[in-house]
Amino acid sequence: MTKWIAGVAVAAVLHITPTVVLVKRPEAVRTLLPGAETFFADDIHLSDVDAHRLHEAVDWSPEDGVLTFYTGRQGAGVVGSLVFVRVDTPHGPLEIAVGFKPDGAVAGVIVTKATVETKPWVLEALRVGLTDAYRELKPGAAPGGAAAIQDRVGTLPHYMAEQVDKGVARALAAWGTFYNHVRAAS
Amino acid sequence: MIYDLRRAALPVKWLVTCLLATFGIAYGFGAWMVGLYAGFTPKSVAATYADREMGMRMPPDTTMVLHHQVTLGELAADEQHVVDRNLLIQDTHVHVPMYGVIAAALSLVVLGLAVPQWSALALITLLFAAPWLDFAGMWLTKLASPGFALITLLGGWAMGAGYMIVTALALWHMWRPAKGVAV
Repeated sequence: MTKWIAGVAVAAVLHITPTVVLVKRPEAVRTLLPGAETFFADDIHLSDVDAHRLHEAVDWSPEDGVLTFYTGRQGAGVVGSLVFVRVDTPHGPLEIAVGFKPDGAVAGVIVTKATVETKPWVLEALRVGLTDAYRELKPGAAPGGAAAIQDRVGTLPHYMAEQVDKGVARALAAWGTFYNHVRAAS
Repeated sequence: MIYDLRRAALPVKWLVTCLLATFGIAYGFGAWMVGLYAGFTPKSVAATYADREMGMRMPPDTTMVLHHQVTLGELAADEQHVVDRNLLIQDTHVHVPMYGVIAAALSLVVLGLAVPQWSALALITLLFAAPWLDFAGMWLTKLASPGFALITLLGGWAMGAGYMIVTALALWHMWRPAKGVAV
């Protein structure tokens, strides 16, 4: 009987609540690539070796093995680039948009999706300036957003900040390892 | 008949009424949630449950890049709520037992209705078959073909229809004014 009750409790706790859109993708693109008039997608289809390399580096396998970077252009000039990264948590998925300047420094980070359950925790972390900590980070640097807000938020917003850190680390690794070469070649 | 709702004690009638009202609220919000996340058309249900992995290609020998222009509108198209296989396993595990309990509770109400035996059997079958169809449709949409989204929709509507029929009959049985009695 105790096992049965525990099973029901675990099932209830693990039930993932639906995803909620915090910021629509087009709005995130407009914010992170200001002034861009045209947009291009680079779908990077990773080989087994490269996919394994990325997984080893940041514990991440992009959906269907494809990394997609969006580049914004104004006339002939590049405004910047952007990638959407999904982080799976026990409370459901989180999606963040990480924008890069042409030199590879982070221009901004926007949390685009959370879940009904995690939304208040994410919003609390954002309210105290979580994403400020990511500006100007370059590939190779370790995101420290969660540490920066640790004293100003509770346990769960801090936990969500750690998940956002994870997403930013994935975006930085993807930019430095793959997109930078794609960009140089094009 | 195991019992007769028409002659049941007032507390029993009140219990059944409250139960049906509670299910009604739950179903109402359930429909709202379906509208928000999956939609009511075969196309939107298929987009929610169809497995993208079905068309998954083999990884290339070397990393390849496809460069193409996109519009902001195309980016917005990616906002579709998607239930992947792991989430559907979890949803099935959590929801199917609860649907079974709801179907059983509504079936107990059916047992108190003064209807022919074949009608009671048909109603009980409808109450249990509706969630089976609902989840069978989701799994078939994911594993076989997006065309099976229609079965999920059919299951959803059947669930609503089963509830409405049982509720209407039960309320009529319990609360219709008795003939010849002044109100």
